[in-house]
Amino acid sequence: MTDDEIDKVLADAARAPHELPEPLLARIAESIKPSLQPVHPLPSTFRLASGLILICAVVALAGAALTGFHGVEALAPVARFLIFATLLVLAYLAAEALVDEMIPGSRRRLSAVILVAVASTALLVVFALLFRDYRVDHFVHAGVACLFFGVLFAVPTGLLSWLLLRRGVATQRVSAGIAGGALAGLAGVTLLELHCANFQALHVLLWHTAVVPVSAAGGALVGWLLRRYSLAQA
Amino acid sequence: MARYQAGDFVAATALIARVSPQLHRFLAAQAECRADADDLLQETWLRIHRARHTYRTGEPLLPWFYAIARRVRVDHYRRASRIWAREARLQNVAEVAISAETSARADELDELLAPLSQGQREILEMLKVAGMSLEDVARATSSSVGSVKQKVHRAYRKLRQMRNAARLTKGQREALP
Repeated sequence: MTDDEIDKVLADAARAPHELPEPLLARIAESIKPSLQPVHPLPSTFRLASGLILICAVVALAGAALTGFHGVEALAPVARFLIFATLLVLAYLAAEALVDEMIPGSRRRLSAVILVAVASTALLVVFALLFRDYRVDHFVHAGVACLFFGVLFAVPTGLLSWLLLRRGVATQRVSAGIAGGALAGLAGVTLLELHCANFQALHVLLWHTAVVPVSAAGGALVGWLLRRYSLAQA
Repeated sequence: MARYQAGDFVAATALIARVSPQLHRFLAAQAECRADADDLLQETWLRIHRARHTYRTGEPLLPWFYAIARRVRVDHYRRASRIWAREARLQNVAEVAISAETSARADELDELLAPLSQGQREILEMLKVAGMSLEDVARATSSSVGSVKQKVHRAYRKLRQMRNAARLTKGQREALP
């Protein structure tokens, strides 16, 4: 069988009339009539993504204001620029990906899993370039504290992001959860870069970067639970 | 669509009459019977209605409809799988409410697409039967254009292999004394 023969069967199927009975169409129309109120379409992706970036910035700055700006004060100007510019670009990519996940039929610029991989890799590269102190003092103790702190502040970022996008409709809840988790994780990393003055390379590379995949995994779990819940409800 | 979002019932009715046949055909591909497809269509429209504010003027409309219909189809499949796992499956009797010509073409299409995976099948249905562009199919399936092209290529290769193997087997059987 050739491609042309396959195309012919598909084209025949496309041409075949597929009419529906009038009572079915009337029943559908009547079912939506009682709740047919005017609605405001969602704002543009740029506005929603900007709102999400603002939430990330506010949460990270509020967290650092509570705990101290020790990290950013000790960083060299070039390191400050490189780290926060990278975080801004990654946060915008994550915000766009999250908005796309919440609007059916959107163009997918970056899938949620690739987003997590790109964000983690970019952070690893920037941190590897900037931090050259290879001592590992209190590696696990200090590291777990930073990871916990980063993920802790990712939670309010995730909740506020959900509040902003509550009118959206996620057609793939797990993917939306991963994208939301990655964005919240980037807010957590921003907070750590503002606060944490431990510049040992392995500490920053492992424990600071880990906030992104851990938060994304948490988001995926929430998405999966929501999907199960909605299926059980139906 | 803009008038539907503004609460115009006449526009909503016109939109339902215009888009429903395409959506029904898409949903029927996995439904057990005609009544099942009708229920899925109704469920799709309820979800479209609840999500109508997420459509933004200027964006392509068909991928938005198909993304929601696809979600309904996947949810239906997951629910049905759970039920089938617990209960004995009841015999469904298909309700014959479509013309003989349409039915024959649908059978031919079903037979052709049967060897394909669900993902390959739905992409071919959107691309070749619904007449959507690669970009629109990518939007509806939450994937990239490259991924859609790859799935189409693999689907065609699989169809060619399966059909040619079937012809060969038939020919060999006929050649036997």
